[in-house]
Order: sequence, then structure tokens, then C-alpha cells
Amino acid sequence: MLNFTKMDRNNPSKRGVMDRIKDFKEVYNVFDKNKASEQAERCIGCGDPYCHTKCPLHNIIPAWLKQTAENDLELAFNISNETSPFPEILGRICPQEVLCEGDCSLNDTHGAITIGAIETHISETGFDNGLVPKFSKNKIGKKVAVVGSGPAGISAATFLLRAGVDVDMFERAPRGGGLLTYGIPGFKLDKHRVERRIDWLKEAGMNFFANCEIGKDKSFDELVSNYDSVFIGIGATKGKYPNISGESNSNVYLAMQFLTGIQERNFGEKISTLVNVKDKNVVVIGGGDTAMDCVRTSVREGANSVKCLYRRDEANMPGSKKEVQNAKEEGVEFVFNVSPLSIDSNGVNLVKTEMSQPDESGRCSVVEVSGSEFIENADIVILALGFEQELPDFLKKANLELDKWNGIKVDAVSKTSNPKVYAGGDSVRGADLAVRAAADGKLAAQTMLMEFSKNK
Amino acid sequence: MGCNLDKLTSFKDNCGFGLVAHLKNKATHQNLEDAITSLERMMHRGAVAADGKSGDGSGLLLSMPDRFMRKVALENGVDLPNLYAVAFVFAKDDAQFDIFRHYCEKNDLRVVLNREVPIDTNALGKQALSILPKMLQIFVVPSSIVSSKRFDAMMYLARKEAEHHLKDAEDFYVPTFSSKVIAYKGLVMPTTIKQFYLDLNDEDFAISFALFHQRFSTNTLPKWRLAQPFRGIAHNGEINSIEANRFNVEVKTETIKSEVFTDEELARIFPILQNVGSDSTSLDNMFEFLIVNGMDFFKAARAMVPAPWQNSPYMDSELRAYYEYSAIRFEAWDGPAAVSLTDGRYIGCLIDRNGLRPSKYFITKDERLFITSEYGTVLIEDDQIIDRGRLQSGEMIAMDLKHGKILKNTDINNYLKSTQNYEKWLSKNVKYLLEFVDQTFVNLDDYKFENVSKRQKYANITYETIDQMIIPMATDGKEPTGSMGDDTPLACFSSKQRNFTDYFRQKFAQVTNPPIDPYREKIVMSLNTGIGNTYNILEESEVNSRRIKLVSPILMQEKYEAILSFGDSNHARYDAYFKNQTFSTTFKSNLEKALEDLYAKVKDAVVNNGVKVIVLDDRAVSSEFKIIPIAMAVGYVNNHLKIDSLRSKVSIIAVTSEIYDPHSSAVLFAFGTSLIYPYMLFASIVSYNERKNLSQYELQHKLKNSAKALGAGILKIMSKMGISTMASYRNSSLFDIVGLSDDICKACFPHASNDLSGLTFADIEAKIDTIHHQAFFDDKTMFPLEMGGFYKYTDGGEYHDYGPAITKAMHDKNAVGNENVSDFNELKKLIEGRDKKFIRDFFELKSDKKAIAIADVEPKEEIFKRFASAAMSCGSISIEAHEAIAVAMNTIGAQSNCGEGGEDAARFNTLKNSKIKQVASGRFGVTPAYLVNCEELQIKLAQGAKPGEGGQLPGSKVTGMIAKLRHTTPGVTLISPPPHHDIYSIEDLAQLIFDLKQINPKATVAVKLVSSIGVGTIAAGVAKAYADKIIISGSDGGTGAAPLTSIKHTGNPWEMGLSEAHNALKANHLRGMVHLQTDGGLKTGLDVIKAAMLGAESYAFGTSALTLLGCKILRICHTNKCSVGVATQDEDLRAKFTGSVERLIAYFNFLAEDTREILASLGYSKLEDIVGRSDLLSVIDDEFAKKFDFQNILRRLDGVDTCQVSRNEPYDKNEQSHDLVQQVLSTIENPTKPVEIFSTITNLNRSFGTLTSGEIARRYGDAGLPEGTITFNLKGVSGQSFGAFLSKGITLNLDGVANDYVGKGMNGGKIVIKPHLQGSEYTGGGNTCLYGATGGKLYVRASVGERFAVRNSGCVAVVEGTGDSACEYMTGGIVVILGKTGINFGAGMTGGLAFIYDKNREFIDHMNQELIEALRIDTDDTELERIYLQKTLKDYVNETESEQAKMILENFRAEIRNFWMVKPKDMKVLPLNPDQGD
Repeated sequence: MLNFTKMDRNNPSKRGVMDRIKDFKEVYNVFDKNKASEQAERCIGCGDPYCHTKCPLHNIIPAWLKQTAENDLELAFNISNETSPFPEILGRICPQEVLCEGDCSLNDTHGAITIGAIETHISETGFDNGLVPKFSKNKIGKKVAVVGSGPAGISAATFLLRAGVDVDMFERAPRGGGLLTYGIPGFKLDKHRVERRIDWLKEAGMNFFANCEIGKDKSFDELVSNYDSVFIGIGATKGKYPNISGESNSNVYLAMQFLTGIQERNFGEKISTLVNVKDKNVVVIGGGDTAMDCVRTSVREGANSVKCLYRRDEANMPGSKKEVQNAKEEGVEFVFNVSPLSIDSNGVNLVKTEMSQPDESGRCSVVEVSGSEFIENADIVILALGFEQELPDFLKKANLELDKWNGIKVDAVSKTSNPKVYAGGDSVRGADLAVRAAADGKLAAQTMLMEFSKNK
Repeated sequence: MGCNLDKLTSFKDNCGFGLVAHLKNKATHQNLEDAITSLERMMHRGAVAADGKSGDGSGLLLSMPDRFMRKVALENGVDLPNLYAVAFVFAKDDAQFDIFRHYCEKNDLRVVLNREVPIDTNALGKQALSILPKMLQIFVVPSSIVSSKRFDAMMYLARKEAEHHLKDAEDFYVPTFSSKVIAYKGLVMPTTIKQFYLDLNDEDFAISFALFHQRFSTNTLPKWRLAQPFRGIAHNGEINSIEANRFNVEVKTETIKSEVFTDEELARIFPILQNVGSDSTSLDNMFEFLIVNGMDFFKAARAMVPAPWQNSPYMDSELRAYYEYSAIRFEAWDGPAAVSLTDGRYIGCLIDRNGLRPSKYFITKDERLFITSEYGTVLIEDDQIIDRGRLQSGEMIAMDLKHGKILKNTDINNYLKSTQNYEKWLSKNVKYLLEFVDQTFVNLDDYKFENVSKRQKYANITYETIDQMIIPMATDGKEPTGSMGDDTPLACFSSKQRNFTDYFRQKFAQVTNPPIDPYREKIVMSLNTGIGNTYNILEESEVNSRRIKLVSPILMQEKYEAILSFGDSNHARYDAYFKNQTFSTTFKSNLEKALEDLYAKVKDAVVNNGVKVIVLDDRAVSSEFKIIPIAMAVGYVNNHLKIDSLRSKVSIIAVTSEIYDPHSSAVLFAFGTSLIYPYMLFASIVSYNERKNLSQYELQHKLKNSAKALGAGILKIMSKMGISTMASYRNSSLFDIVGLSDDICKACFPHASNDLSGLTFADIEAKIDTIHHQAFFDDKTMFPLEMGGFYKYTDGGEYHDYGPAITKAMHDKNAVGNENVSDFNELKKLIEGRDKKFIRDFFELKSDKKAIAIADVEPKEEIFKRFASAAMSCGSISIEAHEAIAVAMNTIGAQSNCGEGGEDAARFNTLKNSKIKQVASGRFGVTPAYLVNCEELQIKLAQGAKPGEGGQLPGSKVTGMIAKLRHTTPGVTLISPPPHHDIYSIEDLAQLIFDLKQINPKATVAVKLVSSIGVGTIAAGVAKAYADKIIISGSDGGTGAAPLTSIKHTGNPWEMGLSEAHNALKANHLRGMVHLQTDGGLKTGLDVIKAAMLGAESYAFGTSALTLLGCKILRICHTNKCSVGVATQDEDLRAKFTGSVERLIAYFNFLAEDTREILASLGYSKLEDIVGRSDLLSVIDDEFAKKFDFQNILRRLDGVDTCQVSRNEPYDKNEQSHDLVQQVLSTIENPTKPVEIFSTITNLNRSFGTLTSGEIARRYGDAGLPEGTITFNLKGVSGQSFGAFLSKGITLNLDGVANDYVGKGMNGGKIVIKPHLQGSEYTGGGNTCLYGATGGKLYVRASVGERFAVRNSGCVAVVEGTGDSACEYMTGGIVVILGKTGINFGAGMTGGLAFIYDKNREFIDHMNQELIEALRIDTDDTELERIYLQKTLKDYVNETESEQAKMILENFRAEIRNFWMVKPKDMKVLPLNPDQGD
């Protein structure tokens, strides 16, 4: 350990650009044993493990880094999977640079440990070596319904099944995984990874009901009365609009419409909306990870040109730096410091912006530069401005307390206003990270277990 | 227990002592005169009370002045018969005398005379006078045949009975009751003892021998009875193992049969030890008991204070056999001890195994033997002295007055070993367990459990425990090293699962006794353990040697089974003598009842079944059964066996899952366990390595390592208290128990100190229920164990006060680029909201005044004056960090602390200069210039993170710059010893303080102590040793490297120690003489306010300062890899340092402003006004808080609360030195003309040359003056610290001898000592000469004492012989020894060279070969060395006219073959594993 003075940070290798833009397969290669151990050996094992504190799941990162360095794959696997419901997935899709790696003690001096890549390595290599997640064989006689099979739902189900609780999971889509499956393109996360997790849950006894929408195919009341507890993790799938003229034009699409359609096509499922961008000039508005997914998907779909428009500068982009980098490598053009004024058939009318002087707290706001208007031509405009919660009928009727954005209100331990009902993930927080959804699901499961043991 | 009020006025004592005796038993008045003169001339070793007259007590134990006694009896009309005795009795009133006389008569002793002792009370100080007892000499004669035959026995019996009768009468005391000796002692100064006791002036008062003693007590409430000598001994030092010895005396009492007394009489005598009194009193009580029961004088002496024999292969095998036999019956009374003793026929002196107290002797032409702490206490012309020597470690010297013979150490040893055939006895009766065990860790069955993780969880073994403690022990064979401090709550406040042994805080030695270095002085340490019952100690017989012996008390399956086989009637080895029975320590519910039941079973087995070995086994734990915490089980059984007088019959073995680190092991031993079988430690190693495909050998090696690491760790814990052997540690109760209820302590741990009485049996049981449920019913699926969080932060684990959130709050700035007080609001919020984590969190402020405007509070500048940075050396932290702290503190008018490790002279007189310079045990970089460039000199006696331990700066951190500052070579590992080798005792500390006040008369001298129950006593002693300031550090202080369990388990929070010290100083009327400071995790204004209210006038900040400079609490300081450049010397990493002075200043602004705000809200305008105002604190209204008793912390005694003087001036004004400085001052100022001064010197002239050196250093720094500018030609015997901190340009020529600490810290100049008796056989200088010297030359044409040139880093010295442990920890310089060296030569020597003349070919055996090698120098390759030696010897002859050196030079070609050159085996790559501290 403590090898950071001798060994630099290395990211996992990527497939060549010309190769990877031809398909939707994952871009990053998984570390091999030597690379993982060499990178893990850089870890300090800090007295204050900031990575672990910052991680919403509080993964015991230093412990599995050390075990990786010492080649005890099984122990690393077990510790990694103890706190995380699907470490190999989060290792791939977490924005580590703003979470664990961003807080790594070495980040500002020597380069953070490649935590995400090692996390992925541990579970993938573990699976290859026959290690599997474990679930309790002793049932405790409690039954929980999980609504939604996204990261929050899978997480809740995982921790409940581990403790011997029976779980029924309801998903309105044909496949499980929610955002993991339909929102994140395959080049970031191979869909089999998600399927594999759901299969293990099924093996552990979970009943999975696909194509089953609560409020339509099954009533919510039924769940509440037939189960000991209900967990709602239905996400926030409603795309946001910028509130400008032309935003509902026919050449304007929401990011999720675009991404889901492509994924459905890739699966060979019934396609809701397919946006054909081949040979078109595509403009994506937004600077988050979803915007990156859209631009990179557009590249893979054969767009003539792809531009990303963002109203702040590059340093202030919310998306992962590595995704921005990948997009650039793949030919995406970035236009910073622009704000959309309206959309028409030619494209987007933009105004240039600049950052204000920092205020007392050090934050800068965006100021439009008058007279700097210009037009960015585009055939297709994709809006990737974030998501907000939908309010499905069943939720309206369920009488749960909601916040003003229609988010489900929960207390510090994930309980809703109905003592039998718990919620987590984007349906509570609004659009947020998969890892936070996973943490919510875990917390809800833990709270339920506590309640179950109290009422025993 | 509970209320520790008595602790505030308790005491420890040290002193000066000695004896004079006429070889032919000739009684003269001159002997008495000389004894008194000797006492007078050791005044500086004692202490004087506030009234300037009382003193702490002094006294004389004299041979019976027969002529005088007969004369005074006759004057009173009594013609004494041949056989008579005199009782000297102190009493409150006549009734007490009557009671005494009653018991005399009852025991057939007829009182013939009651003589009022003539005294002159004008000789007494006010204090002494106010408690002056009535004094009578009661003369008795035998009144029957019985009593004439058993005269001494009847006197003892009578006295003991009277003492028992009057055991609650404080004033009743019988100094002596004997036909052979009489004591004259009391609360008088040596100078006035003759004035007080008129008898002593009578020319007829002729004696043949005298033991004399001058006491230095740490408190100021001396008592008449405490003055020494006692009935048979005078003791200088401290018995560290006293609690164990007292416990064991009681246990031994159970089996005593005497040839002198009947059982009925014995019953009247017991208990042997008086229940009040000092460690020395107990030692005397025991010695007296043995003697009066007819035990041989020498055997009694050596049974109690044995020489080290366990690890002394050079020792004669027969002598070893004697000691081994003796050790079966007696454990050492361990600790620094020089003891003079007599039984009337023999008179002698011996010193402890470690040579920690000085004892010097000389024999005169008129056939008298003098032994004293110092030479020169009696003025005797040089040519009258025919022999001059000193006792080496573990040696004894005596006189047989009957036959007029001097018995030297070898004579005594020859006698001891030949009195019985000990070797044969041992061979026949002692079974060495190893003989019955072929291999260890081959059989692993015991370590395999189906549910190992559940059992681990129950035992609180977490991933972290395994990763941070267990695996490192298995891998490295030693306890892991950690760094920084402990920032977690006390176990009793924790809401997390903690080990039961976490309530126990390790004790450690500071000031009144020294810790030992268990690595470098391994030779005196031993874990030897025996199994079997306790024998009648008065009977020396073959059968009493029956024992099973083990070299280590840690068992593994093979040894465990072998032990059991002895008690198994089906086994061929069966021996009823070792019959054992196993008792399960599991229970279902009701912990208290379970303990009672367990003991009932044990008692039944011992009483009715003859069981000798009790095995307490927790392996039956299950989902149904819980475990009684093993420490509790052992403590309870141990205590109750003793109460029922059964303890002597049995040994206790613990088979336990809860013991897996050195700390937890030590707790068990301290409360009576003989052997531990830590099976879960081994099971954890086996299960962890299951997947690793280890070979059987590899796994076996790991398991062996773990057992070895436990052993080494236990030695280290023992050594912290200065205890050398397991036998003396067992039952020592050397822990502070914090937070357990008085009920638990009383039932299980009655002899340990305890405070913060709190958790009850029910509370502990509730915790057991929780862990039991978690372990057996609360399954985690993927990884079964908890992750931990005890050593390092983990979410959901133990609270850390420097956890990530707080550390970030200290780092995060709200505004970019600007420093702002408001940056720390988040920190304040987090700290103040942490909720009952530390003692101060349980207190809230309640003012007696109305709030005032903040503008009316003293300005922040006034508060800054009270701030200091905690000591952090340049070396442990980077130069960048070190300088940033200095600049910040200087800028705001606070003080920065250099730490020990030197400071670049370029920083002196700039903003980068540290106002506080530290003097620690390594004396690194401690030069005259260093010492004069400061406002305060801080003597570090202990460090919060690792009190009682030394340190190590790994070679990798010793860069060029660091090496330069520390006067060593780059890359060489630097070792700091655990003790200051010039402070083994309180009078030694007084001497160092005196030294420092000479070199820098302007500086205040501070002494840094660590909080522990009893620190109040120490603080009072330190104040009496003339320190100006005392620092009480909390146990949470940081470190660059320390063993993990030391960081976590040693010492107490500062709140406890501060309050105790503050109140103890008040109780002793010393608070006004010293300033009090505290440190330990202080972070906000509220912390400062609370520290002030508990008595601190100033406050130091360590980790917080580092954190503000960018420290991220990585806890890797010991690796030299600090990634933020704070605690590293690596240039690349230092380049990453981003700390700023402004940031630190902003933080201190916040602290001061926060403090001011609180002051305003309390209605106080000055911080000074709330110092010591613990009445402004009250315990919060909270259910949990109600569990604890905070009275000891919130106590407020009457008296001043702050220091009232600018300086605590020593009694000794050192006038001679001041005069001499005046004579040479013009030369110092204008050093063109050399000056030569002629003078006489006596042992009263201490620290000679130091004042002058300071004058030079102040003007010229360490460059000093040209060689030979100032020469002092002296004649006589010099006092201690001759030439201490000598500057370049001074030459000291001494025609005579010197005492201890010659050339301590000398930086240059020359010291030449020419005793009249020259050569290896005679002594010319005392102990610990050249300690920490950095340059100069020392020539002594005789031998010197123990630990010569310890930590020398630059001086060139030639002497003709040394005591033990010469050149210890040496890092530079050259030492030539032209004669015998003692043992343990060159331990921890990592640099420098030594040449040893070894004609008798015994040197190699005396070397500590760990780090050094001895080479011959008569080879081609060593021409340079040869020539160097020759040149040095020529210079030496030139200066000293040494006959030995002349002889060598004359026959150089032949004699060169008798020289060894000693050097560190490898100056670059040391076998110390330079990457790690120890």
C-alpha cells in the first residue's frame, strides 16, 4: 500500500474511437488482476477515509482496495458487495470524480485512486471466478412489494432478500432495471449486467412482475393491504423543458424519448419513439451526463454532426469529466457559454453568456451578453435539461404526502406519510444519481427490517 | 475509590541516602558526625517546605549507642543489664504510650525506663512543629526466660500488636524497637537534626554505623512517621510494582509457618505490612519480617531486590539457579532502588537490576566504609581514601561487623549460590513446559470453528481489528505502529460496542520513576511465568521448588494441553500438585449472580477438591450462552480467593476469545492471571488465511509471530511502569479504571485506581446482551463482521473528533483566497453538537454574573498570549509546516513549540524562532545555543500518545537537514529512550531544572506530564523541584509514530489530570508557585473556557494546527509518505505542502474571539478570572450523564487558582557560579586574552560551568569561543552535572572526582578529571555522563558509572572503565575505554565509534550485539583507526598523565591487539527496519 509516490493513477483502457462508435458495446475495458492490484496499492488507507464518507452507500472502499492489492479477491468481493447492491454497475456509471475519487485524499496531489474501475474489476472478476451474491435462506416471514425496478427498487429488494424477506417486484416496462436499462446507453453499461442482477434476485426467490403498471394492472391499495410494506422507487422520468418558443416543435425531442427509443430498438422490443438522426445535424442542449449520453448515442446512430450546447463554461459542467472527454474523442463539438432563446426549423437561437463575479459565498451566476445572439443550425434538437417527477394516478390516490415538485415526502429513514409505505430514489429526490437511489433503497430496507424486528 | 480526594495529598518520595560504618565495629562519635555531615551535604537531593525549615524529613538509623544509653539510664537511676532494648516511640498522648507499654508487658518485656527524648523545638519549622508528636525512649529488658531467648522476636510481636491496636492513630509510630539499632529521625533538615535531637551532641553518643536518609516528597504535607530510615532500611527510589508486592505479601501470608513464632503469634503479627505508608515502608516491613523470622540477611535482601538473571547468559549457572529458586518464592520489588540495610550485624547496600539509582562507595585508611548517593559528602583528604567505587546494576556490597570484613558483590554471590544445591533442586522439581511440547502451532484443531465469525463478532473482532491489529502481529511479529492521536470517546461514553478492557487505561512512569526500554534493555526484562501454589516463604527446601515453568505466559493448543495433562489423572504425567479444573465463564442472564456462582464453584473446587490450577474458559458461548467479560471474571475470582485466604493455593489460566492484543492481555495479568490462551486470536489468523494457500510452515510462522507480538507488547506495557518481570507485574493492578461503577471495581478490581464511577453490572450486562444478539442473531450476508472504526474512522463506527466532517470543516474556506473567522462556524457547530463524547461535553456553563458587552472583554491579544502550539519536532513534521507554525504563533504573540530535534540557528532571532524549546529524552539538537534562544524550556516527561515510551525517527526521515539539526548522520535511525537518563527520580528532575536554569536563567522551565490518576502527586513534586510551569497533556495527544495500543489505551483525558493537578497543587499550597497548561484535542472557544475553569492558565494546540496546515488525518506520519507534505521529509511530498500562516492565524483569531464571546456571556472580562472556577461548570441535565460521578473533576479546593510568582526560584542560588561568571565576563565579551581561574569545588557546586556556557552561547551561539579561552583549574569533588551544556572555549580541569551527569549535553570545550586513585578499578565520575553531548572532549583517568555516553552524538571521550549500558543510543562521537565495561554495551547505538581495551577477553559478552559489531584494528585496512587511537591516547596522556594509557602507548604494537573497535553494523541500512517506528 501507499504506493502513490511510485505509481501514477491509470484509468482503465478504452476501446479505440473508430471501433467503439460503431456499436453500443461498453467503451471501457475491465482492469485485469495485476492492473487492479497495482492501482489499489496506491491507496493510503487514510485515518479519515473521505472516499467512504462521500460515497452515498458508504462503501468500505479502503478495505476492498487493500484486499485487491493483496489479491484476496473473495474478501474484496464480499466486502464490496456487503454495502452495495450492484458494485459492478455503480463502478461503471457513478460519477466518481464528484464522489469517492473526488474526495480521495490523493485527488489534489497525486491523482485519486481509480476506485470505480477497481470496484468494477472486483465484482466482474469475482463473477468470473464463481463468486455470487448471497442471500439468506432463512425466511423471516415478511413480504414486501417493490414498485419500480430501477436502482432504488433493486437495491431495496437486494437488502430485503439478504435478510430473508420475501419480495415481489412490479415493473411497468417489459424488462427490469428502469433507468439502468432504458436510460443509460449500452456503451456505458452493458444491459446484461443489469439483467444478471435481477436474475440473481429472482433466484433468491423474488417474484418479478414485468409489464405490470401499478394503478393500471394492479391497484396500489392491494399492495398496501397484501404486503407488510411497500417500497416505491418509480424514478423521475419526465423530461424538463427550457420554456422557450419552439420547444414543442417536431424536430425537438426529450433526451429520455431519444435514449429509450434507441434502447428499445436495440433490445428488439416495441419501440415507443425512434428518433432517426442518421446524417442529420444534431444539437443537444444541456451539460449533464444525460446530455453526454445523447451526444454519444447520436454519434453511434450516424449523425452528420453533433453539438452540445451548454450555458456555463467547461469547468462548471455538471457531467463527468471523463464522459465529456469520451464525447470529444468521439467527435462531438461543444459550444460553451450559450443560452437558448428559441427553437425554430433552422435550429436554435442562442445568446452568449458569461460568468458573473463570485458572490460572497464564492458562487458565480450566468449573465447573458446582450447583442451576442446567433443561430446554431440543427436538424434535430434534443433537450437534456434534467428530469422531474411524474405523478402517476395511483400516487395521486394513494394519499401520500408529496412535495411541491410532486416528489414523495420521506423522513430521514425513508418512511412516507403512510407507515407501511417507503420510497426512495428519484421519485423522492428528483433526478439524481443511481448511487443515491441505491442508498435510498438500502436505507428503506434497513428501516423496514428494524420495524419488522420491533413488531416481532 | 469513588472520591479520590486522598489522592490529592498522597505522595511519592525519592532522596539522597547513604551509610557509614566502621569495619571493626568500633563505635565513635565521629561516625555520627560524618553521617550528619553527609546528610547536610545532600540537601539539594531533598526538598524544603514552604516555611524554609521543615523539609520533607531526614533521619539516621544508628547502631545502639550503648555507652550513651547506659549513661542516660544510670542518670535516671536504672542500671541496665546486659540485655536491653530501646523503643523510640512517637505518640499523641500518654494513653498511646500506655498501650505500647501494655503490649511490652504482655510479651514478657519489662519496661525499666521511660525517657523523654530531649529536643530543641527551635530547630523545627512551623509546619513540623505543629504536628510534632510526643517522643519517648522506652527501655525494656526481658522479664522471663522465654523473652530472654526470644528477645528480638518478643519486641517485634509487642510492637506489631501495639501498631494493630493503634492502627487508626495517625500519630503513633515506633521508629525503632531494638537492642541493636535506634533511629533518630523526623521532619527536620539535616542541618538542624543535631540541634533538634540533643542526644546527638553528646560525645558519648558513639556508634559503629549509621544509615542516613534525606527525603524528597512530592507533596508538602510531610509526616514525622514518613521520615527514613525505617527499622532496617533506607531506600532511595520507587517501587513500581508495589501494588503487586503488597497483594502478594498478603497471599504469601496464607502459607507462612515460622520457626520463630507460633501460628498463634503469627496471627497476632499479621498483616505484615502496615496499611498506611510509602512503598519504602512496605519494603521495610517485609524485610524486617523476614529478618525477625530468621531468614538470612543476604537472602532476604536479594529475594526482594534480585539481580537480573533470566536473560543474563553471562551469569554463573549456580548463581542463576539460586535466583531462579528464589524467584519461585519471591517476586522482585521492582523499580528504581538503592537500599541501605542492616540487621545489626551486617550492613550493606544494593541497587536495582537496572542501576537506576546511584550508590557510590569509598573506603578510608581508618577502616571505614562510606556509601552515599554522591561523592564528596564527607570531607576526607584524597590520600586517606584507599578504595573508591560504585555499585553497578543489581550489585550489592556489605560489611560483616562481627568479623570486620567487607563483602563485595562476588563474595555475596558466592555465598548465596553455595548455601544449597539449588541446581539439583531445580533440575528435579521444576518442569519446563517446553520439554513436554515438541512443536507449537502444528495442531490447529482448537482454532477451527464452524461459526467463527459469530464468535469473532461476539469478541468484538471487526474487519479493522483483523486488518489493523491481528494480521500485522501475525506478519511482523510485533504490534503495529500507528500515528497521530486517539480522538475517540472513552469506552464508558461510547455508544458503540467496545471491549471490556477498554475501560482500563494503562499507567506509566513519569518523574518519580523511569520507564524502561524493553527493546534496548531487554536484558533486565522477562516474561517467565510459573504455575503452582505459593510456598511458605520462610522455609528454604527442595520441595518448595516444585513448579511448571514457561518462558512466556501466552499459551497455544500444544502448551495448553500439556499443562492440562499434568492435572489429568488418566495421564502418565499426572501430578496432583497441578490438578486443574475448567470453569465455563458463560452465563444466561444476571451477570452479577453469574460471577457469584462462578466463584462459588471455584471455591468449592479449591477447598474440597484440591484444585491448584483454575481454568476459566469461555468456549461454551452460543446462541444461548453469553460470556462474562474475562477481565471481570478473573478480577472477581482473584479478589475473592484472596478475601477467603485461598489465593496462595492456585494459579489462574484464562482461555478466552476476548484477548487478542497486548493491552487486553496486560489487563488480565495485572489482575492475577498467570497464563492466557488467546485461542480466538489464533482462530482469526487461521480463518483469515484460509484462502491464501499458505504452507503449513507459513501459517505456523504467522501464529508464532502473533504470540511473539503479544509477548513483546506485554513487555512494553510493563516497561512503561518500569517493571521488568511478569512476576512483579502480575496482580499489580496498574490501570486506571475509568467509568465503571464503584461496585464493579470493589468486587473485581479493588486495588486499581478508578474514577468517573459510572457503568453498573446492569449496564455492562445490557451491552453484553446487545453484542450477543448482534453476534448470534443479526446476520450480515456477504461479509459477516462489523467493519470497525476504532482506530480509523468508519461511517457507523466509533465517533472520531477528527472525523472527515470536522477535518473538512477545518479545511474548507467559505471565501476563496480570504481567511475569515466565520470559516470556522461549521467547525464550532460540529464540535458543540457532538453530544457527550468527551468529559467536557458533560458540563455546561452557569455563570454567577450577568452578561457584559463583548467590548468590555480583554482584547484577543491578551488571549493569544495564552496560546501555544504543542511540541512537534522538525523531523516529525516538515520544515515548511514547522516554520509556518512558528511564524503564525510569533505573529499573534503566542508561543510555538520547537519539539525536540533542534532548530536551524538561522531561525534564531527571527519570526521563525520557536519561543518554546523542548528538551526530551533523546536530547537531539539540544545545544547551548538552542537552549538560550527561547523564552521557555520545556522538559517532556511524557507524551499524550505514548507516555512511558521512547520514540524512533526512522532513517528514511533523517534527511541531510534533519541530521544536521540533530547532530547525526543522514539515513541513521534515531532512537529516543523511554526515560530521560538523567531523570530516574524527582530529585533528578530538580537537578535538570537546575541545569536549565543555569544555562538560560531568563527562560521559564516547564515540565510536560500526561494525565493519569496520581498526576496531582507528580505535579506537586514537580513544583517542588522548581519548575515554573506544568503542562498536563491529555491522552489524546498526537505522535509521529507509536504502537497502536499505546495510542489507544494509555493515559487519561486532560480534564481528569488537569483538575487533579490543579487541586493537588492547591492542597499542597503550591498552586501559586507554578503556571498550569493543558492540551489535548482543544478546538473551540468553549474548550478553552472549560479548560480554564478546570485550572489551566494556558492552552496548547497540536493536531488542530496541523490540520489547518493541510493535514488530512491520514494517520501515516510514521511512513514518511504524508501526501500533503505536513509530516514528511520527502522533498517531492513537501512540495505538495499548501499550508499557510494566514490560515493558522485566522483559526487562532476565531478561537480568541469565540473565547471572548463566551466570556462576555458569562459576565467576565478576563480569562484569568475564570481559571480554576470549576464552580462555574455544572453537569448537564441528562439521563446518561447521571450515570457518572464527576465530583473528582469538578472539585474546587480553597486557595489561589493561578500562579502568583514570576519565577519559581530554586533554593540553591548557585553563588559560586555567579561569582566565577563575573570573573570571566570580560574575557567572554572580549575573548582575545585567555583567562585561567583556580578554585576548589565540592559536591555542593552543581552544574559547574553551565552558567558561563550560557553567557557564551548567548553571545556566540554554538560557535562558542576559541579553544582554551577560559580554563578552570579545580580541586575537590564536583557536584552533579559538572560541565553540563559546556560551550566551546571552556576547559575544566578537575583534580579530584566528579559525581553524576558529567558533561551532560556538552557541545564543546574540554573536561579533564584526574582522581587521585586512577585506573579501571576506581571511580572518577558518576552515572550518565555525556548524556546527549554534541561535541567537546572528556578525559577521565578512572572509570565512570552506568550509561556512559548515552545518546552521545559528538563528544570524544577517553575513560578507563564504565558501568553497564555504556554508549547506549549513541549516534556520533568517539569513545575510548581503557578498561572494563559493564554489560549491555552499545544497545541502540546507531552511530559513532568506540575503542575498547579488552585484555581479559570479556568484552564480547558484554556487548548488546543487536546493532553493533566489534572489529580488530591491527589489520592493514584499519591503519587510519589505529593512528587515530594512538593520537587520541597521546593527547589523553598529555592531559591526564594516565598510567594505563602510558603503558598502552609504550607497548602500542602489542597492546593494539587488545583493542576492539565497535561500530554500528551498518550505518546506512540498519536491522531496525528503518521504515517503521517502534
